[in-house]
Amino acid sequence: MIKTHDDFPGVEWIDGTGDFIRVNSSKCTGCGNCMKVCLGDCWEIVDQKAQIKTLATCMECASCWYVCDAGAVDFSWPKGGTGYRSDWG
Amino acid sequence: MEDFYDVVVIGAGFGGSAAAKKCADAGLKTLMIERSENVGDKVISGLTIPIYGFLFGPDFIRDGNPPFERPTDGIINYIIYDIDAGDMDIDDTLRVPRPFSPVVTFGYNTYCKPFCEWQARKAVDAGSELRTSTTVVDIIKDNGMVSGVVLEDGSRIRSKIVIDAEGSQGILAVKAGIRKKYPPEAISLADTYDYVMDKKDLDRILGYSLRFCWGWDEQKIAPPLGHGNGLMVWPYRNSVHFMQDHCLRLDGNKVPNLKKRFQEYHDNITTKLPLWKEEIAPRCHVRARMWEGFEIYVGLDPELKKMSNHDDGIILIGDAAGLESTELCDGVPAAWFSADIAADVAIEAIRAGNTRKDFLKKYDDRIKDHPIIQWSISSRNRYNLRYAQEKHDKRLLKKYVHYAWGMGQLTHSLTPILKMTFRFIKKDPAIVTKWIKMYFRYYQNWLHESYDYTESRNRIIDPGRPKTGEAVFKILVGGQDLILKILAPIIKLLAIPAFYLSIIANPAMKILLPVMRPVYKILRVPLSPLGNWLSDKVVRFVDRADPSLFEVTPGQSIISQKGSINLKKD
Repeated sequence: MIKTHDDFPGVEWIDGTGDFIRVNSSKCTGCGNCMKVCLGDCWEIVDQKAQIKTLATCMECASCWYVCDAGAVDFSWPKGGTGYRSDWG
Repeated sequence: MEDFYDVVVIGAGFGGSAAAKKCADAGLKTLMIERSENVGDKVISGLTIPIYGFLFGPDFIRDGNPPFERPTDGIINYIIYDIDAGDMDIDDTLRVPRPFSPVVTFGYNTYCKPFCEWQARKAVDAGSELRTSTTVVDIIKDNGMVSGVVLEDGSRIRSKIVIDAEGSQGILAVKAGIRKKYPPEAISLADTYDYVMDKKDLDRILGYSLRFCWGWDEQKIAPPLGHGNGLMVWPYRNSVHFMQDHCLRLDGNKVPNLKKRFQEYHDNITTKLPLWKEEIAPRCHVRARMWEGFEIYVGLDPELKKMSNHDDGIILIGDAAGLESTELCDGVPAAWFSADIAADVAIEAIRAGNTRKDFLKKYDDRIKDHPIIQWSISSRNRYNLRYAQEKHDKRLLKKYVHYAWGMGQLTHSLTPILKMTFRFIKKDPAIVTKWIKMYFRYYQNWLHESYDYTESRNRIIDPGRPKTGEAVFKILVGGQDLILKILAPIIKLLAIPAFYLSIIANPAMKILLPVMRPVYKILRVPLSPLGNWLSDKVVRFVDRADPSLFEVTPGQSIISQKGSINLKKD
């Protein structure tokens, strides 16, 4: 199934990515770095721990993975043929 | 049963498909694996590919008919001191002057997807296989030797060499312990918009020139200098591409709220910059917004720069090897150069029966010996810009923008470009003719949207067109080609000292530019009408000329296919 989002025209998201970003709660310090760099608004902090709100607007840039000093974010590639796509990049 | 290939290339972007094409041309059994459904679906940039990428990159690109959005003649910089008071300077010195422009260019703007598709088709035509919608999840290592890849369904593909072109994140290389994850200080996040605009408006308002904006932090007009690229506007054929980028973290400080900052910058630039507010905004509408991270500071970090980009059985290329340019913020030329080198080394290694790192070390050695790669990843001008900004010093800011994005650029780019020029001429002086024909062919292709794999490659040429220009072109270029061929031994010999002498080009420009600048400013006023007249004549000639005049491979096959490359997943 293909989804779009009003805030991000010209981009489609294909379902079935799997959990390609994971958070290790025991390592997470709740600093919020992941939330601050995510332009897709994919993150939230609940009980001082980061958690993924949605992957449906993720552009797979891995910024959350780069800025996690605690090493709590694990990033891998989504399943083949899924995730974002655009003709206008 | 496991499939076996000579070479597996991970990623069919700008670098991956260039490497696959060369390996396949050499007769190697080659496989490209691409995680997206269609090639290019996930490649994002605001993209001018600088001219040196085409001049010194893979032969099939230089001699082919790749798709472009618009040639670009250079950059107009807005150095904004006070946006509300309209206090700003303009530096438009890094532009190819008329009559050379628009045929002779600074580079070519393009969407990533059609260009990557074009390259991948060339690789497939050469015999490479392509699997799309396929994610590589791991690299196979046998006693430390990379011997293939693992796919998401658990299947394994064996190969003699893996070329990793997965992009800047380098997830697989990091996971396999081949290189480290880059720190956030090395990554710039690029927020990108695409606006639709009528071509006639675009021609009039932006023409062939890029627009860059630079400003003080507190202006919130362009991301901080020296740690971002500022703000860049690209004219495409029927659209305007807009990118602002910002480093994920500055010098170990707190990670900024980029979501909030980008929104603020975007709102300010589109509502306050007169060019955007008065000219562009009323005539455009947003079509797309997307973002991607680029490793543009890797070359500036001595430790990261030293990281090896090969191991037993594997070579990293392009962004995966940290080769994004900090100089002009371009990644494609270095991806092409490194793909070319990686393919050469892979071919040699397979023929020699040694794919261990003692042999593959040649790859990193050649990368270190590449004048343009080394220049482009090593410029420290960003730090100068940052310094000027922190000092709030207008004079310094103007100076460093000029040295990075104005004519002053020649004081550090001329030597590497000349070195590559003479290196190519030494190999084959006839390359000069190919370069000239490339400019003309590319421009004609752009005028007629006539690229490989499109129907318009077969367009009918007007038999009643004027033939004088064609005759003049044939005589000039044909004569030049003949001279180059006759004098080849002497030219090759002369290219050797010229290569070494080009080391003085940068310092010479430092002395000459201050003299040339005022002379150029004075001369361009009276010469401008003549330049425009000649330029218009050349454009009219190119528009109507027989395309075969500009071809370098007679009888080149033209295949009419349309649509995205999307081979079924195996």
